[in-house]
Amino acid sequence: MDWVFLSELAINGALTGLLYSLFAIGLVLIYKASSVPNLSQGGLTMVGAYVVLALSHDAGLPLWLAIPLAAVIMFGLGFGIERVALRRLAGRPVVMILMLTLGLDIFLRGTTLAIWGGTSRSVDLGVSYEPLFLGDIFVSRIHLVGAGVALALFVAFMLFFRTRTGIKLRAIADDYMASWSVGISVERGVGLSWALASVVAVAAGVIWGEIQGVDQALSLLLLKGLTVAVLGGLDSILGAVIAGIILGVVENVGADLLDPLVGGGSRELIVAAVLILTVMIRPHGLFGRHDIERV
Amino acid sequence: MQEKVEAQNILSMNSVEVLYDNVMLAIKGVSVQVPTGEMIALLGSNGAGKSTTLKAISGLLKAERGRISRGEITFQGTDITEVLAQNRVGMGICHVIEGRRVFEHLTPDENLTAAAPRGMSRSALNAEKEKIYDYFPRLAERRNSQAGYLSGGEQQMLAIGRALVTQPKLLMLDEPSLGLAPFLVEEIFGILQKINQEEGVSVLLVEQNALAALEIVSQGYLIENGRVVMHGTAEALKSNSDIQEFYLGGGEETDFHNVKHYSRRKRWLS
Repeated sequence: MDWVFLSELAINGALTGLLYSLFAIGLVLIYKASSVPNLSQGGLTMVGAYVVLALSHDAGLPLWLAIPLAAVIMFGLGFGIERVALRRLAGRPVVMILMLTLGLDIFLRGTTLAIWGGTSRSVDLGVSYEPLFLGDIFVSRIHLVGAGVALALFVAFMLFFRTRTGIKLRAIADDYMASWSVGISVERGVGLSWALASVVAVAAGVIWGEIQGVDQALSLLLLKGLTVAVLGGLDSILGAVIAGIILGVVENVGADLLDPLVGGGSRELIVAAVLILTVMIRPHGLFGRHDIERV
Repeated sequence: MQEKVEAQNILSMNSVEVLYDNVMLAIKGVSVQVPTGEMIALLGSNGAGKSTTLKAISGLLKAERGRISRGEITFQGTDITEVLAQNRVGMGICHVIEGRRVFEHLTPDENLTAAAPRGMSRSALNAEKEKIYDYFPRLAERRNSQAGYLSGGEQQMLAIGRALVTQPKLLMLDEPSLGLAPFLVEEIFGILQKINQEEGVSVLLVEQNALAALEIVSQGYLIENGRVVMHGTAEALKSNSDIQEFYLGGGEETDFHNVKHYSRRKRWLS
């Protein structure tokens, strides 16, 4: 095996993995503040990308203006989802909320299909596709940009969860009733977490939209994002970043080794195996919180 | 005259009925008065409606699909029956809910931060924390460990400290002695008394441990089957023979040769 080739696979795998992390951070944000796995994060990411396109390509705004504007719109949408749909379910069994987010995902996919159709569109971020060589290793520029965005968001949210508002969000995830009892507005906190996750969805939507085009398939990122979030431990942002890198490397290197043996298609199998094994062997993931049981 | 009585009571609850799920009547016309600056106890056995009474006052009923179907609650002369729970905390009502319920994955320090009212400055919050650590030195030692791993007594102290951060005028506690060793109960009750005297916080205490509660409160209400069946000063309740028998664990010596083979009726019921 050629070492240059192997490290190229590993580095590009890690970069792709960080793009999964970018997506997974949105999942973690909502889980961290309300203990609900958000199955509509894929739909939100797709909508985020469509809103950017609507503002830039349809309304003619420049991208540097369209992206922040889309972030503001999506921030409002996140709050709106809490206000309209989730508030009624606060305190109900998680399984109902889970079903609601699944329904929301289907709804978002249908809505974008109705408004913008199903043809794939490109974002045209303007990142060059010229190959970039680090020594002998080829890396993709857009992946590098996306990985940088993921790391920047990681640092921003690590700091955020140490602020007073961040601590209140973590308190809500721990115990709704106790939060109400000390005057924390659970509703506003959950709304804020959805709003922030929707902003993350814009970032993920733009980067992934640039890589694979903007269409309904963007929402399928949920599967890999969820795998990363579960492996990292659902409520850990650090976990999402590290798990993203691990999954990216394992997937890229593993597929290269296995594909010649099975004739292709092992990439998806590796992701599935990681998800299933994580849940079986280490249900709280690499860095997730344990439920505390004192003896 | 009526005006004056209102001014003296920080909280006044008038024949309040609570329905859960629109069908189950949990309390049936409870009236409770808390005079400003005093400590009052609600006594009674399991399921009597003590916790429901506290939840009606704090507004946490809503989270359990309960609602006040009759009666009214006034706090410092304002009708709060329709006020949202989080706004009642802002007005100065804080409820330390049953079972401690600290934020387990946060540190004690973060637990206190989480309860900070909106707009409290950083320096005010830090001063508040130091005051709470003065009341509960055990917490100060463990301020940066994970709250879920604190002992039961420490968690109860944290739950009370967390409530104090909200700057309550009326502090309500639901069974703070639950599952704690007697010396801890004594320690915590002593601190409650100190907080009551030094901060002027009125206290409404729900307890099954009537013996401990009657030592620190000035008045008590006995609740049975969703109704107030007895109300008096702590002294009067302690010397009442029914209270002694049912809640204080036998006042007189029991002569086992003459034990009657039926249980004595609680006369005030039915």
